[in-house]
Amino acid sequence: MRKSFLKILIIAAAALSVGGNLASAKILAIKGGIIHTLGKKGTLRNGVILIENGRIKRVGANIAIPDGAEVIDAAGKIVVPGFMHSGSYLGLSEISLTKDSNEHSAKKSPFSAAFDVRYGLKSNSVVVADNRRHGLTHAISQPSGSDGIFSGSGAVISLTSSPDMVFAKGPMIANPAKAGNRNLGWGKIRLILDQVTYYDDNRSRIMKGEGPGDFLLTPYNMDALVPVIKGRQKLVLMVDSVDDIRQAIALKKDYGLDVIISGAAEGWQVARELAAAKVPVLINPQTNLPSNFGALASSFHNAAKLAKAGVEFAISPGGMARNHNAFMVAQMAGLAVAHGLDWDRALRAITLSPARIFGIDKSFGSIEKGKIANIVLWDGDPLEVTSNVAHVIVGGKNYPLVSRRTLLRDRYLGLKNKPYAYH
Amino acid sequence: MSKIRKIVGSTAMLTVAGLLVMNMTGTEVAKAAGDRAALVTINKNPYPSTYEPFPSTTTVIKNATVLTGTGAKLEGASVLMENGKIVGVGSDLVIPYGTEVIDGTGKWVTPGIIDVHSHLGVYASPGHKSLSDGNEATSPVTADVWAEHSVWPQDPGFSRAIAGGVTTIQILPGSANLIGGRSVTVKNVPSRTREGMKFPGAPYGLKMACGENPKRVYGKKGGPSTRMANMAGYRKAWIKAREYKAKWDKYTKDYNAGKDVKAPKQDLELDTLMGVLNGEILIHNHCYRADEMVDMINMAKEFNYKISTFHHAVESYKIADILAKENVCSAMWSDWWGFKLEAFDGVDENIPMVASAGACAIVHSDDGNGIQRLNQEAAKAWADGRKVGLDFTEGEAFSWLTLNAAKALGIADKTGSLEPGKMADVVIWSGDPFSVYSLAEKVFIDGALLYDRADKNTYWQSDFELGQNVKGAHQ
Repeated sequence: MRKSFLKILIIAAAALSVGGNLASAKILAIKGGIIHTLGKKGTLRNGVILIENGRIKRVGANIAIPDGAEVIDAAGKIVVPGFMHSGSYLGLSEISLTKDSNEHSAKKSPFSAAFDVRYGLKSNSVVVADNRRHGLTHAISQPSGSDGIFSGSGAVISLTSSPDMVFAKGPMIANPAKAGNRNLGWGKIRLILDQVTYYDDNRSRIMKGEGPGDFLLTPYNMDALVPVIKGRQKLVLMVDSVDDIRQAIALKKDYGLDVIISGAAEGWQVARELAAAKVPVLINPQTNLPSNFGALASSFHNAAKLAKAGVEFAISPGGMARNHNAFMVAQMAGLAVAHGLDWDRALRAITLSPARIFGIDKSFGSIEKGKIANIVLWDGDPLEVTSNVAHVIVGGKNYPLVSRRTLLRDRYLGLKNKPYAYH
Repeated sequence: MSKIRKIVGSTAMLTVAGLLVMNMTGTEVAKAAGDRAALVTINKNPYPSTYEPFPSTTTVIKNATVLTGTGAKLEGASVLMENGKIVGVGSDLVIPYGTEVIDGTGKWVTPGIIDVHSHLGVYASPGHKSLSDGNEATSPVTADVWAEHSVWPQDPGFSRAIAGGVTTIQILPGSANLIGGRSVTVKNVPSRTREGMKFPGAPYGLKMACGENPKRVYGKKGGPSTRMANMAGYRKAWIKAREYKAKWDKYTKDYNAGKDVKAPKQDLELDTLMGVLNGEILIHNHCYRADEMVDMINMAKEFNYKISTFHHAVESYKIADILAKENVCSAMWSDWWGFKLEAFDGVDENIPMVASAGACAIVHSDDGNGIQRLNQEAAKAWADGRKVGLDFTEGEAFSWLTLNAAKALGIADKTGSLEPGKMADVVIWSGDPFSVYSLAEKVFIDGALLYDRADKNTYWQSDFELGQNVKGAHQ
């Protein structure tokens, strides 16, 4: 017991010191187990994955493992792409109710659309490290709100615990309810989009003072919306009710925006319209309480019905599961299965689907050649609440399953061996 | 418990003897001989339960995997319910003629889940200000308020909770206050009135709160603004309660000795605190940090009362040995952590670490969504414990949801396990309840089938949802 404890401490110390290392040029091989590639190769039994320079080099059934490769034996394990959270605050909040560890809000500032979370991310966040050991490997990290409708831009992050954690700029987040009521919300969004279009077309005149200066947003906030009106940046609209979902679909059509709906608690009631409009949604499968008048029809079978109608959706729970418990995407996917969703579809809803929805599926979402090696080995069905993570690989690096929380656990389990003062 | 029954019993005897009449202040006055004023006693149950078990038929669930709630797991076993009670559990039961038979092949049967920490009804859905009735955040000590007087029986959350196998719920005031008021334990049944849900014979609880919440709420409203002032606040309240109790004890003793004495003036706040000092009301103490929990234990010793349960208790694993020795339960989440500094040290293995020290471990929800999958939350804690060598059986782990919870609420003699004589609060699961894919299929409360996933006629719909939502569409 004493010996194994010492070992844990050494591993733990190593884990804390290697956080910033870049992936080595050495080849990492994962051998055996059941590999759910989510790609064209489907599910492989006793396959091999070769990883080099942080990317997946080869995947297949009969692949020779080069000499000198580090080999992870996946016998008896389930190998899946690392899970993704599609609307987290990861890297932006260490402790929710403290002032100095929260970087996700533009409230009480002149920023709204211009807010961008890429500059305030905490690379050595203990929350990020703890979610990684639970099988989450990348995420959208996003602003929580501003004093206006637009909250700002999120980021696509990898849970590397190193300065390279930002993969790309993420979507623009907007919450129409912030305007006060629904008419104000949709009216304001349309007016702002019209004004940004006008502003973008007449920028030099306006800057010279020759155009109208009376815009709803300041120039720097309008600048941030230019990629949105040009369809180059995705717009996440946080809405739940059938009526707001229809407004979001209309907004997409009228302005040619690349719209994603987040929430969609009543989405199952307009599933066909969502499918026809090709609007993807981010849902929280545990939502089934009539928590407000815009979410009365919340239901556990939202996911199953959206899937049946052919809507592309990702599972992205809210509340506690936006940050400290973001890893609950797996349990939430399992919950959706319990309520009628196919298992394969549920797994896709936390891997390939979100990658496609956010346009990052060239690098994330499946175990396929050329993609970033974000791969997790589970000791059982990864959507099952009694399964645990056996290995986590992010950006090709095999991370120890250690976080501040496991160190606390081990310290107190160790009280049987020596008194508190000596831990 | 025994203390409570004694008091209830003696009150009942007085009533039977026809000696009690009600006066305007809600106290009971016994007419005495001679020219002395009548003896004044405080009515301890002015809003009694009117709950009656729903109609039931004698039913046996056959050939199921049964977790008894006492730690045992029985394969191919039967559970027999008659007249609302469990009458037999095992594989060689004598089944009365005419018993309704449910084939339990492939199913799992457990006691109904008990959530010791819920705000259903007091923070109802929809989450509007007009239904926000859980925190009387106007003064740090509000021992005079009773959660039952805020409970909205039409909260749609109750119908969701039963689909998660929850049969008994303790509804607590929030944690803004040092002493937040009385809790109420209810049967999870549809009812027009609060009294119609109240668990018959369940003792009251008193909500107390440590740490950050009272500090945050009152820091700029006259205090407490520090943990030391939190402690001072509780202690001042207990000192008053001790004096109040001494007055009533002296009054009763003197009166019974034949003296002509005047009763003390009734004080609602101090009635509740005195109830704790008399061992009739159980302390349910929201407390995250290990150091504060130990202070609360020491304070309980200072004023000679008992703490039933620390709620949230994210640091119980640090002092599990002390909690075992002091016989205080911990009601915990499986993996919530970090949402405030006092929750920063939460670990996934908290529940099994507490249990392995021999202390009483309970899985609670504190959440309208979490209450619907407490079985999954227990499963996570169980699996996390197993991974670090804290090996419990599923049978043992299920007691974290049932018998231990019943103990914490003072109702373990009535429910919380599948034992003959207990209330037939029973759940049939589609499979192993420690799987995310398993669902509660049938839920019995006092032997009555209150929820059947396969039968829409059993679905409840609150008045609020009528005409707005399709019945049962939430599941």
